[in-house]
Amino acid sequence: MSDKVACSHCHLEFNENVMIKDEDYYFCCKGCQGIFHLLRDEGLDRFYDKMGNTKLSPPTQQYEDSENFDSPAFYDKFVRVNKDGFCEVSLVIEGIHCSACVWLNEKALHKMDGVVSADINYTNNKAKIIWSDDILKLSKIVDMVRAIGYDAFPYDASIQEVRANKERRSYYLRMAVAIFAIMNIMFIAVAQYSGEFTGITQSMKTLFNVAEGILATPVLFYSGWIFFRGAYFGLKNRVINMDLLVATGATLTYFYSIYITINKLGEAYFDSVTMIITFVLVGKFLEVLSKKSIADSLDIMSKYVPDNINVLKDDKIISKALKDVQAGETIVVGSGERVALDGYVIDGEGSFNESNLTGESEPVFKKVGDKIISGTISIDANIKYKATKDYAHSTLAGLVSLLENAMSYKPKIQRIANKLSEYFSGTILLLSFVTFIIWWLWPHSFAEAFMVGISVIIIACPCALALATPVATLVGLGLAAKRSILFKEAALLETMAKATVLLLDKTGTITQGKPKVINEKIYYKFDLSLLCTLVKNSKHPVARGVLKHIEEQGEIRGVALEHVKEIPAQGIKAKVGNKVVLGGNAKLMQEHGIDISDVSEYTEFYFAYDGQLLAKYELFDIAKKDARESLGKIKKLGVEIFMLTGDHKSSAFKIASDVGIDNVRYELTPQEKSQIVTDFHNDGKIVVMAGDGVNDVLALALSDIAIAMGRGSDIAISVSDVILLNDSLTGLRDAFLISKRTFFNIKENLAISLVYNLITIPLAMAGYIIPLIAALSMSLSSLLVVGNSMRIKFSFKYK
Amino acid sequence: MDTWVVAMMMGVSIFLGGLGLIAFLWGVKSGQFDDEEKFLNAVKFDGEDDLNDFAEQEKKQKQLKKKQNYKPE
Repeated sequence: MSDKVACSHCHLEFNENVMIKDEDYYFCCKGCQGIFHLLRDEGLDRFYDKMGNTKLSPPTQQYEDSENFDSPAFYDKFVRVNKDGFCEVSLVIEGIHCSACVWLNEKALHKMDGVVSADINYTNNKAKIIWSDDILKLSKIVDMVRAIGYDAFPYDASIQEVRANKERRSYYLRMAVAIFAIMNIMFIAVAQYSGEFTGITQSMKTLFNVAEGILATPVLFYSGWIFFRGAYFGLKNRVINMDLLVATGATLTYFYSIYITINKLGEAYFDSVTMIITFVLVGKFLEVLSKKSIADSLDIMSKYVPDNINVLKDDKIISKALKDVQAGETIVVGSGERVALDGYVIDGEGSFNESNLTGESEPVFKKVGDKIISGTISIDANIKYKATKDYAHSTLAGLVSLLENAMSYKPKIQRIANKLSEYFSGTILLLSFVTFIIWWLWPHSFAEAFMVGISVIIIACPCALALATPVATLVGLGLAAKRSILFKEAALLETMAKATVLLLDKTGTITQGKPKVINEKIYYKFDLSLLCTLVKNSKHPVARGVLKHIEEQGEIRGVALEHVKEIPAQGIKAKVGNKVVLGGNAKLMQEHGIDISDVSEYTEFYFAYDGQLLAKYELFDIAKKDARESLGKIKKLGVEIFMLTGDHKSSAFKIASDVGIDNVRYELTPQEKSQIVTDFHNDGKIVVMAGDGVNDVLALALSDIAIAMGRGSDIAISVSDVILLNDSLTGLRDAFLISKRTFFNIKENLAISLVYNLITIPLAMAGYIIPLIAALSMSLSSLLVVGNSMRIKFSFKYK
Repeated sequence: MDTWVVAMMMGVSIFLGGLGLIAFLWGVKSGQFDDEEKFLNAVKFDGEDDLNDFAEQEKKQKQLKKKQNYKPE
């Protein structure tokens, strides 16, 4: 027995005798060895001290040509020129395991002549590289990244994402200023108000007022700028919004406080100014924080479109850019490649994965004359086909543009808090004005009337109202995240709570997505190891299902098989000695003269040895364990459930009756699915759609709430609003329950702040509010709202 | 008299706090907190070699910038 040795580069452990020995070092492959020497020559071997015991994945060798990166089309799309005349590109670096990897990539790039800066974000693996294009081409940079064992691909750092980050940063800055100021003002206010009881000279009061005034100024004009801007845009659109209330209230109070300070009339209200601005700003920030950026969504779609197409011209294969390929040209597709254009097969045969369009994982067999659809993937087919349309008119391009449209037309449900705050703001401003007029006409001095008018605005502090929604949703989001439910945007909770229709995809959402053996019939006893070895040779989902079933039954040993051959759309054939072993569907058996009698409604897998049928397995894609119970619970919440599937009628109804769904639509194309969503919208319904495949993407993009399974396709996840990481329907149920609970809590919060205002506003109008009480009650109402939001957590604890 | 003492103390403490605030704002603005992981790990990669590398990179940037600006059109 030989000892295990770790590779000097990637630290993966293998037996000593399979390793490449080089001086004192061991390597698991040529790739690791190459990188190790490269790093040593470049003086970057400090990397190994830094990485510690992290294990890397060994470098993969196949890369597409990096010259693609130098094409004008690529530069057009991804490269920007900055103000110094340098080029800038955003890349995603693949293969980053630890912070040492980040260090290595940055250092290696910095060492290249012509690279101005390379900055890699460890959290999302995105790199921003600035370089001088006169000295260095981008392909050389990418070659370097690949040479040290990583891979890079471009992403469009679209304006939206940049803008979202900028907005967030601006909020950080404004909040930092506001929080700094409010903390200092609080200290001063303690002295100010305790002086009220213990005696304080007017000169000391003035000093405190001046200090507070100095601190409050940047808060109002810098941190509060957002409200002035919001109020301006609101007025422009003829809407009285909360921003206007906050802005007018704070500004009036601010100037009135200056008036108090100058004329030495006692305590100023600078603390109220900062408090309103800070609290409402925090509430706004929480909303911005949980807003999803759809920036990256369309990026992933571009991964689905190959850049270059192999075209057969005069018996030679040439590589052409996708958009240059015309209808009528002959295209060569190898196994594993993605088809970008529609057409029909003229030579060769093999299986294609059409799950993009149908959602079913079963491969489809294509031979000469059959239609090829763009967006599908060749599994084992090496074919030539004639394109019937150019890319712009292909099925794939149609899908992409439909998706782009759908995403920009996503319906927005108006939120209850926004609606309420509009009425609220208008009413308060009006009340305050009326109060001022009445007090003034009823013989009082201008100053006194003004102060009472303003106290109405201050006491009707929108703090509690502004915090009502964000705090509750934040608690709801946290609760959901603990149950592996990710909401991409806080506002979605409210929309989901109002949902009336739930659309479910079948395969992968309700069912497990993989066929499972549900019945077995053994005609003659046989060696399970033989069958096991046979089915191991196929990647077909049915073979996988059978394999899993056998492996659960116990110990399996290897059997030597010869002449293993996979027959497309039929099964596997092999030889043991001179006896023929067959595993596959009914057609395979019939072609080999084996008689099969009973036919079932499920997918069948037969096993025969030497012309004798030994066993039959029936497979079915069964529903997830928790499906029936979870869907029942959702139904009880008053949500109509529909099942949408691309599958056939019989299996659709079988699953539907298993899980208790009454409404089934079957044999649907992606477009038809999205049409159903639109129809529901026209009926005024709020639609939740749950799916996992590329075929659901259109419907997902159109629905009010799109829910994707965590194991679903990238693109489904990226267009979705909610992701169920554990794939379970219990998660779906919890998502409904949590959003309903949260929405209820939001309504409670709004009620609390309204009741509070109903009590205090008349008091303020009557002139009973003194600054101390105003400040105290303001905090109290906010605390009530925050405390009430926490109840969501407790009420969910025991379910 | 004691009003002035309080004024002075408040002035100094708010000034010092203000310096801290400005330093924080600068940090946020220049993107030092953008990548929380890197920001926490940075302490591990803080040696003489790294400082030298950084200095060299800055020199290179300056040179490149100069070259770019003097580029004959």
